[in-house]
Amino acid sequence: MPNKSTYKLAFTVLIILLLFCFFANISLGSVSISNSELLNILLGTSKNNSLHQIVFNYRLPKAFTAIIVGSGLGVSGLMMQTLFRNPLAGPFVLGITSGASLGVALIIMGSAAFGGILVGSLVTKWGIVIAASLGSFLVLLSVLVVSSRVRDTMAILIIGLMFGSITTAIVSVLSFFSSAEELQQYIFWGFGSLGNLSWEEVFILFIIYFFGILLSLSSIKALNTLLLGENYARSLGLHIKRSRLVIIVATSLLAGTITAFTGPIAFIGLAIPHMTRQIFNTSNHKLLLPAVFIFGAIIMLICDSIAQLPTSDYTLPINVITSLIGAPVVIWLLVRKRKMVF
Amino acid sequence: MRFITLLISILIIVTGCKKNEKTITTPDQQIKFVTKSIKYAKGFSIKYFDTHKEITVTSAWPKSKQTFKYLLVEKDHEIPFHDNKAVVIKTPVSKVVVMSTTNIPTLEYLDVDKCLVGFPNTEYISSKSTRKRIDSGEVKDLNNDLDINMELLLDLAPELVIGFSVNGNDKTLNQIEKFNIPVVFDGAWTEEHPLGRAEWIKFIAAFFNKEEKADSIFGEIETSYLNAKKMALNVEKKPTVLSGSMFKDVWNIPGGNSFIAKYFRDANTNYLWHDNNNTGSLQLNFENVLQKAQQAELWIGAGNFNNKAQMISSSKGYSFFDAFKNNTIYTYTNKVGTKGGLLYYELGSLRPDIILKDIIAIAHPDLLKNHELYFFKRLE
Repeated sequence: MPNKSTYKLAFTVLIILLLFCFFANISLGSVSISNSELLNILLGTSKNNSLHQIVFNYRLPKAFTAIIVGSGLGVSGLMMQTLFRNPLAGPFVLGITSGASLGVALIIMGSAAFGGILVGSLVTKWGIVIAASLGSFLVLLSVLVVSSRVRDTMAILIIGLMFGSITTAIVSVLSFFSSAEELQQYIFWGFGSLGNLSWEEVFILFIIYFFGILLSLSSIKALNTLLLGENYARSLGLHIKRSRLVIIVATSLLAGTITAFTGPIAFIGLAIPHMTRQIFNTSNHKLLLPAVFIFGAIIMLICDSIAQLPTSDYTLPINVITSLIGAPVVIWLLVRKRKMVF
Repeated sequence: MRFITLLISILIIVTGCKKNEKTITTPDQQIKFVTKSIKYAKGFSIKYFDTHKEITVTSAWPKSKQTFKYLLVEKDHEIPFHDNKAVVIKTPVSKVVVMSTTNIPTLEYLDVDKCLVGFPNTEYISSKSTRKRIDSGEVKDLNNDLDINMELLLDLAPELVIGFSVNGNDKTLNQIEKFNIPVVFDGAWTEEHPLGRAEWIKFIAAFFNKEEKADSIFGEIETSYLNAKKMALNVEKKPTVLSGSMFKDVWNIPGGNSFIAKYFRDANTNYLWHDNNNTGSLQLNFENVLQKAQQAELWIGAGNFNNKAQMISSSKGYSFFDAFKNNTIYTYTNKVGTKGGLLYYELGSLRPDIILKDIIAIAHPDLLKNHELYFFKRLE
């Protein structure tokens, strides 16, 4: 096992890398901005108004969103994998995405089924965010109520999946009866996007995310104990039900709000913890959690930079890039190490 | 416990920081204004004040309960007092981004197409002169209308974005507004009268100070439409008409009060679903349609098919209809742009008179002998 100083070095490298990716992210985009121009804009000495707008009101909020999304989904994925002791778990196993999709589907495509009552009252700038939050909250609440009756943590995983199936079925019924335009709107929501948050929205997202991160930091000890298995953890004096609840609430705060604001971002929550474990070769959450945090942010910034297809007039949906880049990296890491750290 | 107190105190600080928004009310409500007469369109109205124009859009999307106010102020004038929900636009606009192909011919008719700087999915545009400007790079492609390339848009810095919305849930348009680029909703497509849609040219014209031109263009279209309608009234024989086409096994038929059904009525034909009240489209199964319309004399508006062979390969059932056997299927695929877009979708909304004349020429061949079919063609 590597010693403390190598970890220190690793974290320093990661943080430097994060800063580098952050600046690379804000310097790349459809409109090419030279480094000196970018510096002028950041220092407020640039005279070009439209470039100033692009950097301050588009690229900077997008970069911060990428950091929040990457780190938040990574951390919640890590917590779920540990809680369920299942390497296939991710932030969305509890039915959060499906709940959010149901909310969004109802507001976008529900007018046919509900005669506009629901839609009329929710058509605001915040409509989609509110619908997605409500949807994921309700599904999560149902999962929690049902799971409070089961002792086995694995059962929660299955219950989450079942709720996911139910909501997917309802969404399919809604899409069957909706118009092409509405369907297209819904599909585009499903692609995920980091770039359409204003500063105000980034701020609100950050506050909830902040609470989620605090809760997950407070669960580090419980997570380490859970690695030993539930019975062992119980014998070590861990209050299983309460820790389980805190972990689930933290995950849903993080993954739920992120999904509400950016749409479902695929793969990051599943892949980042695996990448980090392979690189750091540890399962101690005191190291893993901050590493996943920084690593998630870095990967998300890189994915977003690629999705912008710098200097071309086109952009790609972020979900495509996260999976296209993420999956091969995980495969490569697993093949190279020949052994999964879990 | 300490943790919870911390959470609560942070929450209080955060919510306490919300800024107060000021509302400005008009000090003098007695200002004189003239309302422009809008004959057919129900979704918008224009008021002319001494210092500015005010456009109210009440039907931005179907069943919309929101009213939008647009304040049009001359570029060198001061912005008058207004309620803070109104969107202020400096006129005449010199750089515009539109989201719908139906706006392209409108801009061209008004002679302001040189103001167009960007469009999402430019390959949908068929108009030759605008295509030229796209190819020369004067009109930029902004990606998809649901996923606008914001950087490119900000770089173009348009003075106005004319968008549309199917249900008011448009993240992209909201975001454009946040960048302080005024966004207005074009609700032409929600109008139920064919001339109502065309009349929205007056809405677009107001932003470019081209009202007179718009009035005269619309006047011509109106006269031409009404004359054609009057001519059709004199015929005695009303042919029976079937419309629509199948997707998988569901037949989409225009409802009796739908937009296309109004054309069938004005062309003095007997549309088989004319007594139905639906304003949208009906989803019927094949048997139902076959039973009712097998002997229909004409089949007008049979989807995007180019010929009968295409129809057969899509569904054998089409061949059971008399119209198929008698070669009386007409649809709007006559004019196709270089990139495959149908001109009907682009220009049709502005030229209801041509659509009506096409349908009259199909239904009553003796009436408009010199009229060459423009949007419609017979499927062979």
